[in-house]
Amino acid sequence: MASVTSDHLLIERICAGDAAAWEQLIDRYEGRLLAFVASRLQDRAASEDVVQETFVGFLTSLPHFDRSRDLGTYLFSIAAHKLTDHLRKYGRRPWEAAGASDGDGRPLDELPGHARAASSIALSGERHASEDGRLADALRALIAQWAERGQFERLKCMELLFVRGWPNKEVAARVGITEQAVANYKHQTITQLRRLIRDAGVADATVVELAEGERS
Amino acid sequence: MIPVSDAELASFMEESLRPDEMARIEAALRESAPLRARLDAVRQARNRGWHSVGAIWRAHRLSCPPRAELGSFLLDALDPDRQDYVRFHTEVVGCRICLANLEDLRGRQAEQAEVTRKRRSRLFQSSVAHVPRPRGARP
Repeated sequence: MASVTSDHLLIERICAGDAAAWEQLIDRYEGRLLAFVASRLQDRAASEDVVQETFVGFLTSLPHFDRSRDLGTYLFSIAAHKLTDHLRKYGRRPWEAAGASDGDGRPLDELPGHARAASSIALSGERHASEDGRLADALRALIAQWAERGQFERLKCMELLFVRGWPNKEVAARVGITEQAVANYKHQTITQLRRLIRDAGVADATVVELAEGERS
Repeated sequence: MIPVSDAELASFMEESLRPDEMARIEAALRESAPLRARLDAVRQARNRGWHSVGAIWRAHRLSCPPRAELGSFLLDALDPDRQDYVRFHTEVVGCRICLANLEDLRGRQAEQAEVTRKRRSRLFQSSVAHVPRPRGARP
């Protein structure tokens, strides 16, 4: 059944030139990508153009695509960059020099092949991505553990603290617990993170949140 | 209103905040040189190879519910704790990708409802003649 065909199998078929597989991938992802882009542009035609560029960008990057990555997450990251390019082009980011930061955070696999080989930035980027990947695996396990144990209050606190960067006071108010309880969760999690980060072979001094913790 | 955090500035660069928050920060950046300087500092930290728990969490979507679970969320079919968490993740954290998935799923459910309605209508039209007539009704 088409709906249970895995993304990886689809990609294999697309690489082998199977147009039907490409159509299936578009059917699977176009709706969510369009919703992502349109929520920002409020212009249906422009949003469809950005989504089209996203799919073309994906095909261009396909030879470099790391098959271990989640396809949906990868497509959204390309869409985000195409959207940023569009916003720059139409003057929504006047504080940025044109083209000054086109490569910011762009998936390495989406960069043209010769640029990857020529760029030492890309090489250090690959090392950085490898370390990020190891940290992500460790964090994913920790978050899954919280969810499995039903520790959703802790998960909510950590998400607001790390993902949104909110101060303890606002996190406490939003989650409906005391600031002290938030501080306790934070302290315990930072301790766990330090261990996980060392186990992942990454220097904890290079992790922004941990370095900030030492300064504060 | 909570001041814009560095994590939110990074999220802004990643296009990962809710659209209303993206617009709020975009407007603030137009007006505030200090905020633009902070945005540059966040960008430079990333370019220098620093890691960020928040950035990794967002990029790898570490707490995003699977799409099937988002579908169940729309049907209010999750355990109460999980239902509450998915609501928090989408409404409070404002995960833009999950919001896009929810909108897509809602659209697909509506399309499916329309397909179902048409199929049942066809079934009704093709079978209604076989419904027994009330006694005394004219043929």
